[in-house]
Amino acid sequence: MKKLTTLIAALVLTIAAGAQTLNVQVGNVTYQFPASQTGEMTYTNGETLTIMGKAFTISDISSMTVDDTKVTDNLVSIAYSGTSATVTVAGNVAQYVTPTISGAYVSIAQSNTDAVDKDEITYQLSGTTTDGQFALSGSYKCTVSLVDVDLTCTTGAAINITNSKRIQLSAKKNTTNTLTDCANGSQKACVYSKGQLQIQGNGTLNVVGNTKHAIKSGDYISIKNLTLNITGAVSDGINCEEYLLIKSGTVTISGVGDDGIQCDLGGDSSTGEILADEAKGIEAHDGEDSGNVYIEGGTINVTCTAAAAKGIKCAGDMQISGGDINVKTTGNGKWDSDDAETKAACGLSCDGNMTVSGGSLTLASSGSGGKGMKCDGVMTISDGTVTVVTSGGLYFNNGTTENTNYNSDTDRISSSYYSSPKGIKAGVKSQSTYAGGLVITGGTVSVTTSGRNGEGIESKNYLNITGGQVTVNSYDDAINSAQDLTIEGGYVYAHATNNDGLDANGNCYIKGGVVYAVGSSSPEVAIDANSEQQKKLYITGGTIIAVGGLESGSSISGGTCKYTSSWTSNSWYALYNGSDLALAFKTPASSSSSGGGGGPWGGGGPGGGPGGGGGGSQQLVVYTSSTPALQSGVTVSDGTEYFGGMANVGGTVTGGSSVTLSTYSGGNSGPGGH
Amino acid sequence: MKKLFMLLAVAIGTLTAQAENDDYPYLTFETADGAKISISTASLTINIQDGKLMAGSMELTLADLSKMYFSTSDETTGIKEVNTTTLDESADIYDLLGRKVTKDQMRRGIYVVKTKSGIRKVRVK
Repeated sequence: MKKLTTLIAALVLTIAAGAQTLNVQVGNVTYQFPASQTGEMTYTNGETLTIMGKAFTISDISSMTVDDTKVTDNLVSIAYSGTSATVTVAGNVAQYVTPTISGAYVSIAQSNTDAVDKDEITYQLSGTTTDGQFALSGSYKCTVSLVDVDLTCTTGAAINITNSKRIQLSAKKNTTNTLTDCANGSQKACVYSKGQLQIQGNGTLNVVGNTKHAIKSGDYISIKNLTLNITGAVSDGINCEEYLLIKSGTVTISGVGDDGIQCDLGGDSSTGEILADEAKGIEAHDGEDSGNVYIEGGTINVTCTAAAAKGIKCAGDMQISGGDINVKTTGNGKWDSDDAETKAACGLSCDGNMTVSGGSLTLASSGSGGKGMKCDGVMTISDGTVTVVTSGGLYFNNGTTENTNYNSDTDRISSSYYSSPKGIKAGVKSQSTYAGGLVITGGTVSVTTSGRNGEGIESKNYLNITGGQVTVNSYDDAINSAQDLTIEGGYVYAHATNNDGLDANGNCYIKGGVVYAVGSSSPEVAIDANSEQQKKLYITGGTIIAVGGLESGSSISGGTCKYTSSWTSNSWYALYNGSDLALAFKTPASSSSSGGGGGPWGGGGPGGGPGGGGGGSQQLVVYTSSTPALQSGVTVSDGTEYFGGMANVGGTVTGGSSVTLSTYSGGNSGPGGH
Repeated sequence: MKKLFMLLAVAIGTLTAQAENDDYPYLTFETADGAKISISTASLTINIQDGKLMAGSMELTLADLSKMYFSTSDETTGIKEVNTTTLDESADIYDLLGRKVTKDQMRRGIYVVKTKSGIRKVRVK
């Protein structure tokens, strides 16, 4: 039996070793032609040998050998070793590839690849060099595969692809690859591709950009699967044009001198998003030049320290439908002499619309004037989790004087001279023109700002909330809109320590949902509308808790509004709608003095609401669709926590005592909060 | 045991078929006059120098060559009869594996014979 096995093994090995390969050596380049593919190899005048369409000048051939090397079609292998490199070319693509090697600098010109277009050429890079490069020219799609390559270039880009077609840059599974370019060079990036760049693979790619960007494409960039670490760049971590798509993988960017990721328009005008059209044979994003950023999945960690740097920035729309996105900016604002205005750091920033329909966003900004996320168009949050924390102060700079912790009033200085920290900002207001807006229909949004003038959520146009859970703790207005503010559903907590909880510079409509608003001391209120401009707060539904009162002259219907001026801070209350428990809530840790004892409608101005006698405490106003009732000092168990632990829905309430509430009769008017 | 044999037979059959498709034991050179010389591809090294192509023990003038191709059999043509005298004049005799042999060691097969009048491929019947 043993003999039989040995015999069979030997036979199999003998048979398997049968395939021959002709290796043609030209300098440091080896062309490998499988015997089964070569056909007739022709000699011409004793000077030229042509094999599979590849014409060799015979005098250039160092040697030819025949062995049993297995050749992988379409593969060109580049192996770096110290100060040299060798190139191995599969015979079936030999005629399309012209390598030039100087030391460890490998330059390849790729010509027509019609014959292999269905399975493009792969350039596989491996080995280590401290002074080398991979350069590729041509005009055909191909793959650059990285297999444990450590490539440092001392004169330019580590990878320089001037091919304007789609390039796949693949870090192969279980490999770690490092690319480093030179400092003070003329290259645009450590990894530069003139054409579309698809970065993928299941390995790791580390990139350092010592002259400008770490990775730059003159076209779109897509990323999936791989672990991409950009540990340094003089300018952006990733810079591209047309659009950026991140599908999956882990992208970590730090040590950059400007933005983490920036996507610009390639041309002068946007095509907008190109959607797939099966009937017309159009795939999604085909020919798109939108400046859009699409994040569908993966983990993205970006840290930016530069002044006014953005974590992820784009000239078009930003669409986030998945992924775990963590962006931290620490830079202060700066003076932009071109635009003659201050600019501030921001986690996510886009010139178009921003859409969050999934994923988890954690955005932190600690620099003066820093923001969490902003767009010039419409921001729509429909799902996912958004957590924003800004801790920077008010930034001032008039081109000559900078103050990163400005404490003076900004009412009398040009808005170009300062940048306020904000959690979320959407839309643009220019004199009397309003654009963009903000819509929240779902998801969980949590915003905290602690620096001077730090608004939580601001829309420079309308602001609509119809669902989700929104929790804002801010220094300035918690939720502010330049035009109408409408809440129709969801759970909204808006707590400002130095201004209004909800502040509409147009009308404020509360039609539904649960609203818990806390404003600061008079003249600020919990819920404000622009009554100075004949705007009004309209309450027609929902459940409302307002600590700090309502805007004077509010219109209340569809339910009953009551208030008390005697309440205990940092204590749990139960709010009932008739006999039904609406929710339990915890009062603020401290009560700001209202300073006048007006009714629930603010600071006791002319026509202030009923009640009076606040006793120095803010008014606690409640509204439900039936008759509200309050129970103080309750104990809450079970249920679902909302607003970071400030409310409980569906829980069990025990203990406590009934609170005497005064009824608002409505029809009042007068100045309220700002 | 029977199953094992059948399995092995199928495997070997498959491999054999594959190998037959890919196995080219000869590299055949053809000159402008149509003459062919096949040499074994086993561990074959071809060097080029001074207008000559040295393939194993073969030396061919590049200018005379029109083509070469891998072949599954020895396609050598134009084999000349050599007599004892010719062999006696020979300086070196090689088998197709490039091994140097003596006249007495020659058995049935193809040999490359380097004589004063040139290099020839000879077949011993």
